[in-house]
Amino acid sequence: MSQATVPVLLPEAFGAGTTDADRQAAAKLREEWNAHDQSVRAQSFWKETGKRFLRNRTGVAAAGIVLLLALAATFAPLLTPYDPLLGQPLDRLQNIGAPGHPLGTDEQGRDMLARVLYGGRLSLVAGFVPTVAAALIGTVIGVTAAMLRGVVQTVLMRFMDVLYAFPAILLAIAVGAALGPGLTNTIIAVTIVYIPPIARVAEAATRRVVVQEFIEAATLSGASRFRIARTQVVPNVLNDIIVYASGLVGVAMIIAASLSFLGLGSPPPAPEWGYMLNSLRGTLSTTPLVTIIPGFFIFLTSVAFNLASDALREAMDSRL
Amino acid sequence: MTDTLPGPTPVDVPAPGTATLPKRPLMELLDVSKTFSVRNGGRRATLSAVDGVSLKIWPGRTLGIVGESGCGKSTLARLITGLHPATSGEMVFEDKQILANRRRPREVVEQMQMVFQDPSSALNPRATIGESIAFPLEVRRRPREEIRARVSQVISDVGLPASYARHYPHQLSGGQRQRVNIARALALQPRLVVLDEAVSALDKSIQAQVLNLLTDLQSEYGLTYVFISHDLNVVEYISDDVAVMHLGQVAERGPARRLYDQPLHPYTRLLLSSIPSLDPALSTRDQPLDRANGEIPSPIDPPSGCRFRTRCPFAMDVCAERTPPPVLAEPDHVVACHLYTADENGVVPRGVTESVARRVAEGSEVDAAAVPEEPLPDPTP
Repeated sequence: MSQATVPVLLPEAFGAGTTDADRQAAAKLREEWNAHDQSVRAQSFWKETGKRFLRNRTGVAAAGIVLLLALAATFAPLLTPYDPLLGQPLDRLQNIGAPGHPLGTDEQGRDMLARVLYGGRLSLVAGFVPTVAAALIGTVIGVTAAMLRGVVQTVLMRFMDVLYAFPAILLAIAVGAALGPGLTNTIIAVTIVYIPPIARVAEAATRRVVVQEFIEAATLSGASRFRIARTQVVPNVLNDIIVYASGLVGVAMIIAASLSFLGLGSPPPAPEWGYMLNSLRGTLSTTPLVTIIPGFFIFLTSVAFNLASDALREAMDSRL
Repeated sequence: MTDTLPGPTPVDVPAPGTATLPKRPLMELLDVSKTFSVRNGGRRATLSAVDGVSLKIWPGRTLGIVGESGCGKSTLARLITGLHPATSGEMVFEDKQILANRRRPREVVEQMQMVFQDPSSALNPRATIGESIAFPLEVRRRPREEIRARVSQVISDVGLPASYARHYPHQLSGGQRQRVNIARALALQPRLVVLDEAVSALDKSIQAQVLNLLTDLQSEYGLTYVFISHDLNVVEYISDDVAVMHLGQVAERGPARRLYDQPLHPYTRLLLSSIPSLDPALSTRDQPLDRANGEIPSPIDPPSGCRFRTRCPFAMDVCAERTPPPVLAEPDHVVACHLYTADENGVVPRGVTESVARRVAEGSEVDAAAVPEEPLPDPTP
């Protein structure tokens, strides 16, 4: 594609013109322009966002850590020969760097590396699943409320406000205590905690979108409200929700860990990071470095998620 | 529910080759009103956005609607297209009656499209141009092949390269986006296109391009336009008929040429005098036609009688008492002003009418006499 031969569309060449000769000339010019313009790439929003994200070093590093942790948790059996549930009482409370146990052992002689890796599965699931579930449910609630307005909006959003008024951890403990311990119940509890804030974000974003003229244009074309919500509204509120929800994953892990710490999470001896932190409390004075390992991983994952989320927000926010 | 009016009587049908103007309007608005309930300082209040508007939209012609900001132009556009239901009044599209607060028949909805004001908010930022134009066709479940052909047809009709179908709105300039908006409105091949401030957000040079495109498309597609704008020059350029709106009411309507040459309503005169002129002799800055200094009364509590009376230099007692009915001042030229209506005894306030008519007819001379003899120095030496 040579740069020199770009046909210029003059104002007169636009439109159809008034005489047949004008029209033909304009059509010919347009064809030339088309031929040239095939080289111009469409820039999709997600492609551009991806490009900008990759330019953000902190974001890429954080995303790398998240990915690494997820891979390590997934392929835990390949990375460690130990069983996370089976202890060697003779090897209890080994310090970091002990032969065969790079991260030491806990109070029952279980290998800490194995427990951290296997525990990562539970923690990542407890972080991801409730966030994704709450994002789906909250988006439906928020978009429905803002699009239907009136009584539906008032009832839905005031109910969300009631839930939102509770401190997150208190609500999670209440739900967790009501449902009993276990990973599934932890996930349900955190999901319920997360639905109100996500619904509020979705509702605010929807209200901003529905006043725009392209929604009126879609209405004029005879589309149903559901179709407008699906094709016109949701794609435009999605990035707000993704940005907000990605910042919640880290907190979800902390809430899940807190529930485990309080005995409301996965029941022992499951290697959940929060529970591990609790059970190792007593050994703080003998092997302090080993004790803080689960806490360190909770911290690392949460920070990595938040940094990646910040980078994502920046990549999406810059107006196209 | 559709009520059908009786079909055209034989009298309405023009003899072949005689009439250039069709006898039946494409769309007719009869006493259409729209009120919104708003909160005004905590109290519930009624905002009268459009009040008793009657208009005829003739097929193949352009009806310009002009007025200040907040006079209900955009609300009227949304009433015509059905985006807002009317509070009261009646509309007739061809032979189909549209009742206030009733769902529109599908045949009517399909015949109308709208071009919006803000080129950046009128297109879905997450959809390509092609997807945006195809959307109304997809809603109608047209076959995929037809959609593709139609999209590239309208894109080229509005003078854009066909490859733009793959682009996103942010990659286009304001003028190009407005072309896309027009293309989307044309995709369904409507008969009536309502253009709500369609060129107001564009630069002057781009405005000219888009206006020319609109007139080209009108002849090509046989379109009927309702062109809404606050820009008097643009409306004069594109319109066949013009309606002047003030605070939700039509003050005056008539053929564009006559209305601009011989405005009857004091408000029309005020509007036309507000077009900046390079000739100081035509300036009305020293003798304003607006008593309220551009202060527009609130549509929440509009003045009684004539809504223009608080600003009108000719206001009389009767103006506060009764709403001026539309009067046929000349053929096709309707004005709603007590200067042109008869009183209870059937007497037109002659003296006033004559003096107004004289001032109207000699408008420029009267104004010219008021400015000093010495002209301002020529700014271009």
